[in-house]
Amino acid sequence: MKHSASNWITDILQQQDLPPVSDWLSELRRKARDQANQLPLPRRKQEAWRYSRVDALLKQSFTPVVQPPNGSGLEMPQSLSPHVLVFVDGWFNPALSRISDLPQGMVLGSLREHLDDASVKAHLGSLANSGENLFSALNSALINDGLLLKTGTGTEVESPIEVFYLNSQAEQPLLSQPRNLILVEENSKLTLVEHFLPGMGNAYFHNSSTEIHVGEKARFSHYRIQDEATDAWHLSNIHLVQAASSHYHGITLSFGGKWARTEYKTRFAGEQAVCDLRGLYLVGDQQLSDFHLDIHHDQPACHSREQFKGLLHGKGRAVFDGRILVERIAQLTDAQLTNDNLMLTRDAEVDTKPQLEIYADDVKCSHGTTVGQLDPQQLFYLRTRGIEEQQAIHMLCAGFAGEIIEHMHLPHLREQAGERLRRTLDRL
Amino acid sequence: MLSINNLHVEVEGKEILKGLNLEVGTGEVHAIMGPNGSGKSTLSYVLAGRDGYEVTQGEILFDGKNLLEMEPEERAWAGIFLALQYPVELPGVNNMNFLRESLNAVRKGRGEQELDAVAFMKLVREKAASVKLDEKLLKRSVNAGFSGGEKKRNEILQMAMLEPRLAILDETDSGLDIDALRIVAEGVNLLRSAERSIIMITHYQRLLDYIEPDFVHVLADGRIIRSGGKELALELEDKGYAWVLEENAA
Ligand SMILES: Nc1ncnc2c1ncn2[C@@H]1O[C@H](COP(=O)(O)OP(=O)(O)O)[C@@H](O)[C@H]1O
Ligand SMILES: [Mg+2]
Repeated sequence: MKHSASNWITDILQQQDLPPVSDWLSELRRKARDQANQLPLPRRKQEAWRYSRVDALLKQSFTPVVQPPNGSGLEMPQSLSPHVLVFVDGWFNPALSRISDLPQGMVLGSLREHLDDASVKAHLGSLANSGENLFSALNSALINDGLLLKTGTGTEVESPIEVFYLNSQAEQPLLSQPRNLILVEENSKLTLVEHFLPGMGNAYFHNSSTEIHVGEKARFSHYRIQDEATDAWHLSNIHLVQAASSHYHGITLSFGGKWARTEYKTRFAGEQAVCDLRGLYLVGDQQLSDFHLDIHHDQPACHSREQFKGLLHGKGRAVFDGRILVERIAQLTDAQLTNDNLMLTRDAEVDTKPQLEIYADDVKCSHGTTVGQLDPQQLFYLRTRGIEEQQAIHMLCAGFAGEIIEHMHLPHLREQAGERLRRTLDRL
Repeated sequence: MLSINNLHVEVEGKEILKGLNLEVGTGEVHAIMGPNGSGKSTLSYVLAGRDGYEVTQGEILFDGKNLLEMEPEERAWAGIFLALQYPVELPGVNNMNFLRESLNAVRKGRGEQELDAVAFMKLVREKAASVKLDEKLLKRSVNAGFSGGEKKRNEILQMAMLEPRLAILDETDSGLDIDALRIVAEGVNLLRSAERSIIMITHYQRLLDYIEPDFVHVLADGRIIRSGGKELALELEDKGYAWVLEENAA
């Protein structure tokens, strides 16, 4: 089915009636629906969409999933963690999940089951702005379910929590829209791993929105592994706010999908907070990976490090758009952003755009980007040590990617990532 | 073991080696000395099989086989090892992994069994100790952020692990202080054997005080212009390269 651009959103929104929710959420949905109907479609003329091809996405019609799917054909994913949560087409699936004993006061599970909690009301939509663009409006207009994680204060959760976003098999491409709320409260410590996987799906649109509040002195390690189906579109919109002396440690690995975009918008609500943001993208034929960072230093003495690396092969395309804004009040900011790209073929293409905008005078900020090929000297060196050329290329690529992967403190994730990389490199 | 006959090599269209002859017998240690830019590193690269070095005339035989037809890794399997003048940094590639991949690749290439993890660890510890390389450096990325001396010792460690039949050391002494030089020389001397040949490329006589060569050659302007015993090195030290160059011109 072909659609003119302006029909795309109305078609999705009018498809079905949503299951009813409380008044406050109906109001949030209604507002977002109005915005969705009014917002312009993302166009290349707009800076944030300049290098991202969304034309194909906007030509495809999608069916929103407005009832909990039964998860047929799906199995509980393998995980070492006692806490495994599975979302199918954006809906929590209790049968495929297992949540073991939780510390007192901690909430973990389906957002839908907690819509009347005071903290959900207070925080949902407080960071994410449904007027931001068409896709964020779409997510809010159809809010149904997603991940709710609330630690309670002073909670240290030893085992990582593993979340899997899977998809149903469908005749028509489905629209999966998890709406996640994560509250890592004061003095808490937590590791969350999110896997974005095909499940039974192939052509679908994952359009998630995640709001994260990290409380004072809290430490949050957040690993995100995107390995969507080859015909899938993926858009993750993440909003983060950090209180004083908190530490956010986020790593996104982007492997799959034909179009995968990750947007991070971070800011601070107190001094001395540390934000480590890292990412790795691996793209080949028929793939585009797109990272947009908006790092807003609006408090003094915070530290942020953004390190992103890309491995491009075949006709792979990547976009990196990283912006650091340091407000006048944010003295003693320490912010460093790097983006390095290793191009394995001449046909691969990357658009990298780092931006520093600084209004404070006593700061330490830097940015740097590189786009390069494998170094013939390094290859020669490995070969003189008896290592065959193909293996030498693998080692150098793994070394390049390893500088991101090594920052994940869970060994099984490092191994999985290394294995995933090898699978692609082996086929080249 | 190695036989180089009338070797002519061009780099980017410029002739660097201009009819070089060299015979290295099994178990012999040869020193090649010569002024900067005379083609010493070029010779070492050609022996190791680096791209971009075009052999326009001549041949290199290694154990009677045509070396120039072999890929760099095949030469390593056959027993050729080059310690580079400027060891390459490999960010993100763990030194220990690199050594294991390398050793196992070479063993496989030689038709030997790969070493298991325990045997490998034992071997690498022992060899690292013999070149006084801090074990911490094994956990880091290959050569990345190493000091000059650490890089050279890392090269000798690789050599000790791979047990080559022909080792070519390109200015392994340059940039080392006297203590580091002694450690590196000891490492090399440990590897001297009746089955192993060594070509030491050096600019200075200094290294030869620690590793005594059987033969000394002077390479100038792409040719070996003089060969002799170890006393030639002393004479060179005394009179400088100008002396041979003049004598040669005469
Ligand atoms: N990659 C290269 N491209 C162009 N010229 C080169 C290259 N490598 C070496 N040369 C030239 O070849 C000559 C010999 O260099 P080299 O073999 O490094 O000498 P040595 O090691 O004896 O100092 C020098 O004139 C040098 O400038
Ligand atoms: Mg040299």
